[in-house]
Amino acid sequence: MTRNRVKMAYIENETSRKATFRKRKGGIMKKALELSTLCDVPIAVIVQSEYNSVPEVFPPSRQAMGNVVARWDSLPLVDKTKKMMNQEQFIQQRITKATESCKKVAKENKELAMKEVMYDCLRGDTAPCDLGEDELRDLGGVIDQYIKGLNRRIQVLMRDHASSSTSVVPDADVATSVAMPTAEMGSSSNVKDFDLNQTQSE
Amino acid sequence: MAKKSKGRQRITMAKMENESNLQVTFSKRRSGLFKKASELNTLCGADIAVVVFSPGGKVYSFGHPNVENVLNRFKNINQPPLNQNNNVRFNEARPNDAIRVMNDFLTQVMNDLELAKKKNEELKKIRKNSKMPVNWWEDPVEELDLAHAKEFKGLLEKLKSYVTDEASKHFQAIFPQPNFYGGSSSGAPFRDGGYINPNLDPSERRMFNVNAYYNQNMYPPNYPLPYGNNNYAGGFVPEYSLNYMHGFNQYRNQNQNLNFKEEGISENECHQDGLPPHI
Repeated sequence: MTRNRVKMAYIENETSRKATFRKRKGGIMKKALELSTLCDVPIAVIVQSEYNSVPEVFPPSRQAMGNVVARWDSLPLVDKTKKMMNQEQFIQQRITKATESCKKVAKENKELAMKEVMYDCLRGDTAPCDLGEDELRDLGGVIDQYIKGLNRRIQVLMRDHASSSTSVVPDADVATSVAMPTAEMGSSSNVKDFDLNQTQSE
Repeated sequence: MAKKSKGRQRITMAKMENESNLQVTFSKRRSGLFKKASELNTLCGADIAVVVFSPGGKVYSFGHPNVENVLNRFKNINQPPLNQNNNVRFNEARPNDAIRVMNDFLTQVMNDLELAKKKNEELKKIRKNSKMPVNWWEDPVEELDLAHAKEFKGLLEKLKSYVTDEASKHFQAIFPQPNFYGGSSSGAPFRDGGYINPNLDPSERRMFNVNAYYNQNMYPPNYPLPYGNNNYAGGFVPEYSLNYMHGFNQYRNQNQNLNFKEEGISENECHQDGLPPHI
């Protein structure tokens, strides 16, 4: 997206800093104008820099600026401070939001990964004994979640069956030749319990 | 899946017509404006104040060092300056240490977020690519019929029982009981880590390298956190390495070239040779 990712820290290089200031200040004024126009709201921006003894402001007209400031002044302190922020507070807020977002995505990633592991187990590509303690715990959680979902689905389907006039006999003979999950994890003697690839006629 | 929105569109520079869009736009753009102001201060050391009234009449403001300070200096510009020190303070224009540390931390969190999102995309892509229509159980739950749903449920419950069994062995490793891990008795369950998938030639059974799979990827900040944000460092979920996923796909695509472990090694992975501590 950007050509060069700028590090969010004070720019030591004098020339760069001045150039950056000029560009970004211009950008802020433009954005302020857009916000003010699109949403039809009063806005004031005041910038005080080392490059100009006079503050640079938006809106540029003295009268418009005066109006906004007057409106601000007329407010009780309570209203002013309710949504007032300085740098420390603002950055902290951003940190908090980003952290929460991050945790949420990480959690979803874990679930997605565990789901793959679950499918792996069913396919026989791996087994619980291959997994570490934490993975087992997470896998258990994902399986439980999935079972809950299945229960809900079963409930819904049973309700629908009950309400429909024809009684449907669930197809118990899953003798289709399509692949079946094989939850492999025991010694060979247990395999038959799981192996649905054989027909159910046994 | 249908496209959710029309994407970025050119917008006319006039008051927005749709009331709710206006509210949303206000919220987003106000937030963006504050962010720009924050960055201007961080990067260039400029003092700044932004005051915004909402469509509903509420005031939002942002300022460094604080809104009132900047506003007052602006107001006093028009009067003969009582103190001439306005520009002197720009020797101290650099953001103070606390802000610097916070910005560094924020950058780190944003990076982590970006990485996590990327991984999210990749995981979803993997799922999409590995889905085989013939595996009906991989379909969303909502698409299963009653028979399949019940069958799958039974299977998962069984799998769960194996998982809890296996997990309890870890527990027992901490509190070892004598003779639990007997020698090489062929009757012991899980002995060969084994699962015998009749679909697979036993010589092709693949054993996971647990370490490759479970990559503990925590990011402790290497400087003191000003706000002791322990929740972040401690609670950050260890990420599962995508190395696992790549190996997984390799396996699926080419049944040859498998990397599988000897039976002996897998045994050790499956259960520790946990003799009770020698008393």
